[in-house]
Amino acid sequence: MRQSFSEWTKSGAPWVWLNAGAVAICMIMVVGLLTLIAVRGLGHFWPADIVQTNYTENDNTIRMIGERVQEVEVPAEQLRDSGVKVPEGVETMDRVLMKIGNRDHGGTDFIWILDAFNSDKSKPEMLFAAERREWGNFYGYLRSIKEDGKVVASYEGYEKTEEYMALWNEFQARIERTLTIYDQIKDIEKDKIGSINYEMERLRLKERSLQLKEVTDSAPYQEIDDRRKELDMEYESLQGELLALYNAVNRDTLTAEIANGKIVEFKLAWVVRAFLPNDMSIGGKIGHYFAKIWEFLSEDPREANTEGGIFPAIYGTVLMVLIMSVMVTPFGVVAAVYLREYAKQGFVTRVIRIAVNNLAGVPSIVYGVFGLGFFVYFLGGHIDDAFFPEAKPAPTFGTPGLLWASITLALLTVPVVIVATEEGLTCIPRATREGSLALGATKFETLMKIVIPMASPAIMTGVILAIARAAGEVAPLMLVGVVKLAPSLPLDGNYPFLHLDQKFMHLGFHIYDVGFQSPNVEAARPLVYATALLLVAVIAMLNITAIQIRNHLREKYKALEM
Amino acid sequence: MTSEAKTHAIDISSMQRDSRTLDLNEETLALEVKDLKLSYGDNEALHGIDMVIPKNRVTAFIGPSGCGKSTLLRCFNRMNDLVDGCNITGEILMDNSNIYDRSVDIAELRRRVGMVFQKPNPFPKSIYENVAYGLRIQGVTKKRVIDETVEWALKSAALWDEVKDRLHESALGMSGGQQQRLVIARTIAVKPEVLLLDEPASALDPISTLKIEELIHELKNDFTIVIVTHNMQQAARVSDYTAFMYMGDLIEFGVTDTLFTNPDKKQTEDYITGRYG
Repeated sequence: MRQSFSEWTKSGAPWVWLNAGAVAICMIMVVGLLTLIAVRGLGHFWPADIVQTNYTENDNTIRMIGERVQEVEVPAEQLRDSGVKVPEGVETMDRVLMKIGNRDHGGTDFIWILDAFNSDKSKPEMLFAAERREWGNFYGYLRSIKEDGKVVASYEGYEKTEEYMALWNEFQARIERTLTIYDQIKDIEKDKIGSINYEMERLRLKERSLQLKEVTDSAPYQEIDDRRKELDMEYESLQGELLALYNAVNRDTLTAEIANGKIVEFKLAWVVRAFLPNDMSIGGKIGHYFAKIWEFLSEDPREANTEGGIFPAIYGTVLMVLIMSVMVTPFGVVAAVYLREYAKQGFVTRVIRIAVNNLAGVPSIVYGVFGLGFFVYFLGGHIDDAFFPEAKPAPTFGTPGLLWASITLALLTVPVVIVATEEGLTCIPRATREGSLALGATKFETLMKIVIPMASPAIMTGVILAIARAAGEVAPLMLVGVVKLAPSLPLDGNYPFLHLDQKFMHLGFHIYDVGFQSPNVEAARPLVYATALLLVAVIAMLNITAIQIRNHLREKYKALEM
Repeated sequence: MTSEAKTHAIDISSMQRDSRTLDLNEETLALEVKDLKLSYGDNEALHGIDMVIPKNRVTAFIGPSGCGKSTLLRCFNRMNDLVDGCNITGEILMDNSNIYDRSVDIAELRRRVGMVFQKPNPFPKSIYENVAYGLRIQGVTKKRVIDETVEWALKSAALWDEVKDRLHESALGMSGGQQQRLVIARTIAVKPEVLLLDEPASALDPISTLKIEELIHELKNDFTIVIVTHNMQQAARVSDYTAFMYMGDLIEFGVTDTLFTNPDKKQTEDYITGRYG
């Protein structure tokens, strides 16, 4: 049966198609976004093969060793213009970004080359990659290992032999040893000496506060001095241990042949991880891949954030969001309860509601400016004057920090919680409230025992929205507390454990920092994607947790079906 | 019963009631209403009500929708205080003191005058916690006392046998009739003197309605009951005294039998014979 166009329109079919199309486009965009950052970010951790080629450009031939990172097609004309001798009749050429590493020898660790000029491509099994604490990755042939300058093992050829494997195993064993020593060094430097420094600082502040109070009795000063001497002794002995450890760790060096044929020598202690990507089985690669991801999640960053992990940023983000939630929830709920339950409904409440809703629309950077001006300088400054005069002129709370960042974001998200809570309170049936009042409960008791618990799923909805907004916010944080690299975590083993005055790292800011402030853009780019993916994952995780809590509450306080 | 009864919309002879005759003048009084006027803004809903509520009897309020019977009922535990713009003059005496006096603690009053609403409104808590709610509000913490009271209240509300094995399950999983009896149990658990029932069976099926009515019969030994109902048969079945209200006035108040069989006022007769309402 034929249908006329107007009948087709009337049937609603185009409308359904339009709706479905809009939903489909949204889905495609979300999935596309996640796929892009997942592929770009997660691909970074896969151990790529190391390629060795002879590269000839303008009659110069050099040996090149590195990982192929990226390929683009460029017009031959453009290359000719820049002085490259491109054969006649070629329209376009493939240009490849090679990660050649060895920044300490070549100056750059990434280079663009033309694929067509490569010859004798090979993937020698013996080529090794090393991640180092300094100067980035190293690629080359392992030649020898020295202990205190004396060679303990060496190999000259390019073939995989018994002798070579023995050298390699020796290398791995020694890396293992240095890593163990580094763990001890880290333990002493970060934890023990960190604690001593922390206590010394507290002693200094204590002494200063005694001086400020003009205490003349010498006993407390004596006590401080005694303790300080003890700490000094402890510090000296730790320093001795540390020196021994550093000597031990710097015992070994290795020599290796790099792309241009030179033999270079560097400290074995620099090497974090060494592997033979061309000689790895698929299982070995997968193992390496997950080890890298784990490192990314659990380690501190190295080399201006372009290497290593982002654990402090994850930690800072989660902690800040939790503190923000703890502050925003009670505040928002209390405000909403007053506005909905106690305040006389009328012009004033209407104006307040409009103001609250508009507050949600203020650009976040404005909150950052407000947070800096009011919280940090004004409130923080006065807190310092009142409670921490001994630390002056160094500010304690009068400087950006975790507390101010959390409060600023709480302020940013409080409208969301207020609106959601009000909505929830409105939905509680009048009959249920009256039921409680009729039993002799006061309004307050009814609110506490019946109304607020019943509205708790709605409150959680508000908190979920608040978390989603706050966790992704970066702009205001740059003004009120986030730093590129925080020396210690804001929650640690030193009294009072939670350091609200400290600056912290944040995933969102980390993305900005790695992506735009990094000295090594090429190396940082995959990390930008990986960090972005992680930020999305962290927000999703926080939200899923909150949603679980909400579903639980919903089940418990499901509203009457009437 | 006279033959006149046959002309009524309801079958009076089917009514079961006490054989002894009732007389309002011989009753002890639970509540006395004196010239009660109530207005919402400029709109007066009750135009000076004078009546008494006899103790340990069931008093029914009947009348067409909007006649003010629920409003009057809600005056007895000051539920109208919650309504914005509601203004009340006159007195309601309970134990010779005005419940609208400034010094009255409203929460305390509501403990003495309990109320059950039209729709079952259990709290989203367990059956046990619903009944224990009023006690906990009063500050009772002894588990033994609460346990005993909950059992007593549920037994009194004829609900114990149905729920004794699932006391700690959510009250929202019960049927409508069970929920309404739970609400009654919850209300009597705090041992009020007066029990106000605002169309307690109007949202229920006939079987549940019957159970509620039986329950009212049981409860009147211990409580003074005031019930508002749309259903004249129900008023006739359960009440000892009936008040007929119309347009915010109390038209007639008397012993139920008399009011239904031999009303004084023409308006009452018209209403109960189904001529309007």
